[in-house]
Amino acid sequence: MNVIDTKAQQYYTVIAVAENKPGVMYRIAELFMKRKLNIASMTVSETEQAGMARFTIRLQATAMTVEKVVKQLYRIVEVTRVVEYTDEALVFCEVGLIKVHAASREQREEIKHLADMFGAKIVMVKPKFVVIEQAGSEEEVDDLLEMVRKFGLLSVVRSGRIATTKI
Amino acid sequence: MNSKYQKKNQISGAEAILECLVAEQVKTLFGYPGGANMPLYDAMMDYEEKIEHVLVRHDQAAIHAAEGYAQVSGTVGVCMATSGPGATNLVTGLADAMMDSQPVVAITGQVAQGLIGTDAFQEVDIMGITAPVTKWSYQITEFDEIGEVMAKAFYLARSGRPGPVLVDMTKDVQFALGVLRRPKRVQMPSYQPNYEPHARVIAKAIRCLNEAKRPLILAGHGVSIAGAQKELRKLAEKAGVPVAVTLWGLSNMPVDSEYYVGLLGMHGNYGPNKLSNTADVVLAVGMRFDDRVTGKLEGYLAESQVIHIDIDPAEINKNVKATIPIVADAKLALKALAAGVAEKEYPEWLAEFAACQAEEFAAVITPGLAEKATLPSMMQVIHELSDLTKGEAYVVSDVGQHQMITMRYYAFANSNHWVTSGGLGTMGFGMPAAMGVQAAVGNDLVISVSGDGGFQMNIQELATIRQEGWPLKILILNNGYLGMVRQWQELFFDKRYASTRISSPDFVEIAAAYGIPGQSVNRLDEVREAMEDWLAESGPALLEIKVKAEENVFPMVPSGQRVEEIRLQ
Repeated sequence: MNVIDTKAQQYYTVIAVAENKPGVMYRIAELFMKRKLNIASMTVSETEQAGMARFTIRLQATAMTVEKVVKQLYRIVEVTRVVEYTDEALVFCEVGLIKVHAASREQREEIKHLADMFGAKIVMVKPKFVVIEQAGSEEEVDDLLEMVRKFGLLSVVRSGRIATTKI
Repeated sequence: MNSKYQKKNQISGAEAILECLVAEQVKTLFGYPGGANMPLYDAMMDYEEKIEHVLVRHDQAAIHAAEGYAQVSGTVGVCMATSGPGATNLVTGLADAMMDSQPVVAITGQVAQGLIGTDAFQEVDIMGITAPVTKWSYQITEFDEIGEVMAKAFYLARSGRPGPVLVDMTKDVQFALGVLRRPKRVQMPSYQPNYEPHARVIAKAIRCLNEAKRPLILAGHGVSIAGAQKELRKLAEKAGVPVAVTLWGLSNMPVDSEYYVGLLGMHGNYGPNKLSNTADVVLAVGMRFDDRVTGKLEGYLAESQVIHIDIDPAEINKNVKATIPIVADAKLALKALAAGVAEKEYPEWLAEFAACQAEEFAAVITPGLAEKATLPSMMQVIHELSDLTKGEAYVVSDVGQHQMITMRYYAFANSNHWVTSGGLGTMGFGMPAAMGVQAAVGNDLVISVSGDGGFQMNIQELATIRQEGWPLKILILNNGYLGMVRQWQELFFDKRYASTRISSPDFVEIAAAYGIPGQSVNRLDEVREAMEDWLAESGPALLEIKVKAEENVFPMVPSGQRVEEIRLQ
């Protein structure tokens, strides 16, 4: 068949390196917006090269769609390199800040115990709540969230994925 | 560098822009002044010897003119508008240039930096609005950016896959003083179009073509952009392969070549549509498998090996899977292929196209031309026009049925003489774009063909034409309808003509009011003589031909159907 088939959707991480110039992020975001692509997260940060920015975009799409998006990202003049990855090729993590209701010693102890099991830190303790900082895969953050949900989640902030390649 | 020397070499930002335009060899630009670009216009008065500015009557006309100019001159078309509404009036043209890969640089004024973000008078975020419809854009806020930005703008507009670039310039920078520094070369590590085809894929493609039993070449706009007409012809003749063209690929193959088999597309010729899906090897060059060409994608070229040559890698494997993708300039790729292919002939395959052509003539063309009604048909008018001008004119069309008919029946003798709005299909494009074409070609014959609907969209440009005295020949085919929509309503909406009957003024009187001689005919037997008079006018002239009210353009591939389901009536 010479027509592009649709296949199953899965999570991809697209990493684009571009010149850190005004408007580049807008053009990149617009490319995803007009295709109504399901972006799970997008982070932008400086790279080891001066004047260059790295865009790490996690999205759910078919292989064909990702291939097209990668090529179309290259049309943006300031973009120098784009690669799409699935999880096996990356070392990745995101940071979650979870503000949980905790007003008694028992609650605080149990939360600390859970945080220890996940390797997470308690970064703030106040009379009515604590804030847990968890760095790990999206699944690890999801799991910690599920375990502390019963205490009452006051706010959950997730940074979005940053990643680097295994090779 | 002492301050006295610096002061002597200082120029304003506005002057710097103009110096850059001169350096880029811009001879003509189209525009409209306003508050935010007054310094630019003021500076332009001192450049009148070097750069001609054409004042249009609507900013949109400026950008369409720049498009027409770019297409036939092979250089970058330039237009200028003020901030706010001036800039937003360019959006349609930018989208048009983006879709049809036209090299255009649009320079817009912007409010002073201190006012940005305050909803100032005539302020609009034109950078944000035009991001999806420009190849690149930049807002100049400092003098020192001017040299590099303008060099980049022109380089990006014309290189790789050409496209529109917007340069937005705040008013304060237009006043600012500085010393202009232009880069000797534009270096962009992030932008490196690939022109040379890789030897290995060329070898693979040659093998594929040599083994083909029913090969077909699909040639598009890329062939014109690369100036690859000779190479295309050489390849077709050597390898014996028939060539079908897209709307924008029209005139890249001489119509009398035995290897030219006609137009692809929704209203193209019968043969190319009927037989595309029976080809075993398809060589697509400088075309992007637009939906008007492919019809229903499912099953399109399903049995063929597809060699796809395009300068834009994003087009390859976008709509149709390429067996052999070749990212390269069309001229270089076609030259390499022509050098290596075996000499072959496919007499039976070509005969199939000839048979389809005979069917098309019998069902559509011959009866259409022979029809004897009072009012002429558009088909008869364009056929007459082509005959009278020997197919040698520059022809610029608007959008609609007349566009399809001009595409089908004007037998272009020269390549790069056909300008239209393809991908975006912008009504109102025709006359302004024709202005740009005329500005580029001096006194050569340029014909603007419009329908009564599209003509009214930029009718005000009659004033620009009179002002410049261009010998533009304006043809209006008037059927009192928005014809293409009416045809669809007849075929698919039970003839419910919702808002497609459209009235127009007396175009001849309007032209006279603008100081342009005009004529109107409504009889088939008056057409030829009227055309002769009209073409003989030394200056601009308008000819309105009242045509059949309900003419349908056939053949047609109905929307959503496979190309071989093309209908002859």
